[in-house]
Amino acid sequence: MPREIYLVKVGMSMTEGMVSEWFIPDGAQVKKGELVYALETEKVNLDVDAEYDGTVKHLVEVGVTLEPGDVVGYIFEAGEDIPDTLAGSPAAAVAEPVSEPEPAEPEPVAVPQPVVSAPSAVSAPATSGDGHVKSSPAARRLAKELGVDYTRVMGSGPGGRIVEADVQAASQSGAAAGVPARMATGPEPKASPLAKRLASERGIDLRSVRGTGPGGRIVQSDIENAAVSGSRAGGAVAPAAASGPQAGERVPVKGMRKTIASRMHHSLQESAQLTMDMEVNMEDAVKMRTSLVEEWANEGVKPTYTDIVIKAVAKALQAHPMMNSQFLGSEIVLMSQINIGMAVALPEGLVVPVVRNVNQLSIKELARETSRLALAARDGTLGLDDYADGTFTVTALGMYGVDSFTPIINEPQSGIMGVNRIYDGVEWDGDKPVKTKKMNLSLTWDHRAVDGAPAAEYLVEVRNLLQSPVRLLV
Amino acid sequence: MSEHNLDVLVIGGGPGGYTAAIRASQLGLSVGLAERAELGGVCLNWGCIPTKSLLHTADVMREAMTASELGLEISKPKFNLKKVVKRSRDVAAQLSGGISHLMRKNKISVFVGDAMFQDKNTVTVGDDTIIADNIIIATGARARNLPHIQADGDRVWDARSAMTPTFMPKKLLIIGAGAIGVEFASFYNTLGAEVTLVEVMDQILPAEDSEIADLAKQSFIKQGMEVLTGTGVDEVKVTGKTLTATIGGKGRKFDAAILSVGVSGNVEDMGLEAIGVEVDRGFISVDEYQQTSVDGVYAIGDVAGVPCLAHKASHEGIIAVEGIVGEMPHPLNKERIPGCTYSHPQIASIGLSEAQAGERGEIKVGRFPLLANGKAVAVNDTEGLIKTIFDASTGELLGAHMIGPGVTEMIQGFAVAIGLETTEAELMDTIFPHPTLSEAMHESVLSAYGRTINF
Repeated sequence: MPREIYLVKVGMSMTEGMVSEWFIPDGAQVKKGELVYALETEKVNLDVDAEYDGTVKHLVEVGVTLEPGDVVGYIFEAGEDIPDTLAGSPAAAVAEPVSEPEPAEPEPVAVPQPVVSAPSAVSAPATSGDGHVKSSPAARRLAKELGVDYTRVMGSGPGGRIVEADVQAASQSGAAAGVPARMATGPEPKASPLAKRLASERGIDLRSVRGTGPGGRIVQSDIENAAVSGSRAGGAVAPAAASGPQAGERVPVKGMRKTIASRMHHSLQESAQLTMDMEVNMEDAVKMRTSLVEEWANEGVKPTYTDIVIKAVAKALQAHPMMNSQFLGSEIVLMSQINIGMAVALPEGLVVPVVRNVNQLSIKELARETSRLALAARDGTLGLDDYADGTFTVTALGMYGVDSFTPIINEPQSGIMGVNRIYDGVEWDGDKPVKTKKMNLSLTWDHRAVDGAPAAEYLVEVRNLLQSPVRLLV
Repeated sequence: MSEHNLDVLVIGGGPGGYTAAIRASQLGLSVGLAERAELGGVCLNWGCIPTKSLLHTADVMREAMTASELGLEISKPKFNLKKVVKRSRDVAAQLSGGISHLMRKNKISVFVGDAMFQDKNTVTVGDDTIIADNIIIATGARARNLPHIQADGDRVWDARSAMTPTFMPKKLLIIGAGAIGVEFASFYNTLGAEVTLVEVMDQILPAEDSEIADLAKQSFIKQGMEVLTGTGVDEVKVTGKTLTATIGGKGRKFDAAILSVGVSGNVEDMGLEAIGVEVDRGFISVDEYQQTSVDGVYAIGDVAGVPCLAHKASHEGIIAVEGIVGEMPHPLNKERIPGCTYSHPQIASIGLSEAQAGERGEIKVGRFPLLANGKAVAVNDTEGLIKTIFDASTGELLGAHMIGPGVTEMIQGFAVAIGLETTEAELMDTIFPHPTLSEAMHESVLSAYGRTINF
């Protein structure tokens, strides 16, 4: 049986795409892992590799717009009869089976191996051994109703087939069932108004918190405990549950953990990165944020300090394009866009969705986009396009009371800004100490691309912007 | 001599102890309660309740004295001290009897006498030996003396003497302006005594928000009291019917003095040291489920530390018992305990003062004077302020402080709000009935966010 080559789905928002180039000519041999075609969507380009050894037969031409999951070609195993031309149109090839109890066409599965525009921390969805996801029609219908991406659900039926119960379980328990954990989609649990507000401020999903109030109501202390246990666990703010790794356990390095491990290690090995800290007077920034929060309260827009730093970082990059660059060995590429990645801690690890063209966004637009990205990150609905094309990264640990750290550069970028705690510092008015809101910035940069003096000048620019935040509004 | 085996023995029949006993009985445990004096403890017999009877007398008298402002013609009221005191004793006796009934109804064995630990599970009370898996110490506290000033029951009164006076002092010195001192000051001042209220701290009612305490002080001075803060009484001498007190270096003469400088826990003479219960500065140390340093031995209420309030004691009693049966009650949050002072004007508060809250972070403070409240104007009592304090970022109600008519009955509204963890949004969204004094609570919340309507 020939194996299908699918138009891979790269994110929930992808509705269509096309093969922009066949790397393996029609009828040529491919080895598993070799690039087979280039995918182009509205937002992202990436190269897709072959999952099997064999002979490639094209089903569609370059440039034909298709839906994700459509079959674009086949790989024939050695010894199989290879027809000169393939019968059937792409549409017919993916027609939904109507009456068969078992779908004749295996459901599509996305196993993109992005080469360019690599997402920083996308984990591969769970698939069965042969790369196909088998599922029952009822399971697919339920998945659609519940908004669960069933290609990411572990099947418990015969041969790993996904059945209704698996979708149900994935919907309810999120992390347990799918690899990229999604939060349950059930109704929000009972919680006090204060608990709700604290959870939303701290980015804690109420469904991940165990309530200890009457009838399991989530109260303030539950949120506080959740935040504490999250930070103890090493970065993830979300889960309060005691289901994390226990002492004495061995945690396999796979999925997102593996991706993070290799990328972080590689970054430290390959670049010449170092960090410097600078104190910022945040008095005016705090005031500005407070008034913006009030101003936009009715519109449900709430800018965070990280948003304001992202804006300052982006604006300063306009004046310091070398910081917005990629060191590629023989040349340094100054990036034309300013796309800022924001590190978001999830229970299973770190993801870095990207806000595009930050220099062109107002703080309000920026706040809307970062809150959308953060929410999508926690719901597991970030698309690959949401990760793509970052040129600089901002990461915050201030909510844990951190005052200084050495962030690791998100390759192939040249800089990453660490955002620390805002604290009550002192400013001298003559001989008189004046209580003043302060914050440290921790900038890590790649010395291969930028020397210390220009990097310091960039950091000063960011500081100046934060100290005169009205400049961020224009 | 008889021996009893029980699940729980409670030592002390005050509001903490009897509440714990009843809750234990409700949960199906066999319960005994030891009490050496009257059921109901100090609160019911020598504290909260009888003083409220006395203060009610004072309130009615004050109203009668100002009745002409309301168009009533009433001749100047006179009091009969003996009858005033007798009524307060009758009220206490009636309620104490009610506790006996509750003990019978809940099948709680009451042992009368002093309790003594033999070991951590065995207590003797008179001829009875009680062996219990769990023992809850709820022995309360007693009025404290000063090293250089002791109550003598003659001219130097403790609270107990002060609520059973045999004569009305013309000039009365009150040493200590906490809730108890202030209530006595208000009672005796209304009944015509010349009251001098002395407090060593910088403000009267040191536990209250300083703005509220200052308003109380101004009001007391307006009512004719002398109020001295940041001042100690160096010496008290009694010669016959005259009491001479040295205040700030000057000798002054009074007919009597009330010593109200706090309480200390009743931790002595029951064998706590022998079984190893840790005591720290006169109070038993406990964990969040009220357990002492000894497994199975609990302490609740005044003896387990400040604030010494009946409602804190009964709440701790419930936490201890529910903890014993393995429920996981929420530990007491001391920042959510309301406090009331029944002087004129009344004072009630919950949570952090403005100063305390300000130290934690950014806050929003709302104020609404009763002068702008229609009901207060109608009932001729506009002296007062409602103050609310919110966390500026989360909207958590951190504190509420009220002074004025009816505030001791109204504070529960904010206590419920804090208990349910509402933010300013729900409070602003709540419909308060018109015309009520409670509208001032709503307005205070609105004021914190610059949205007050009637001021």
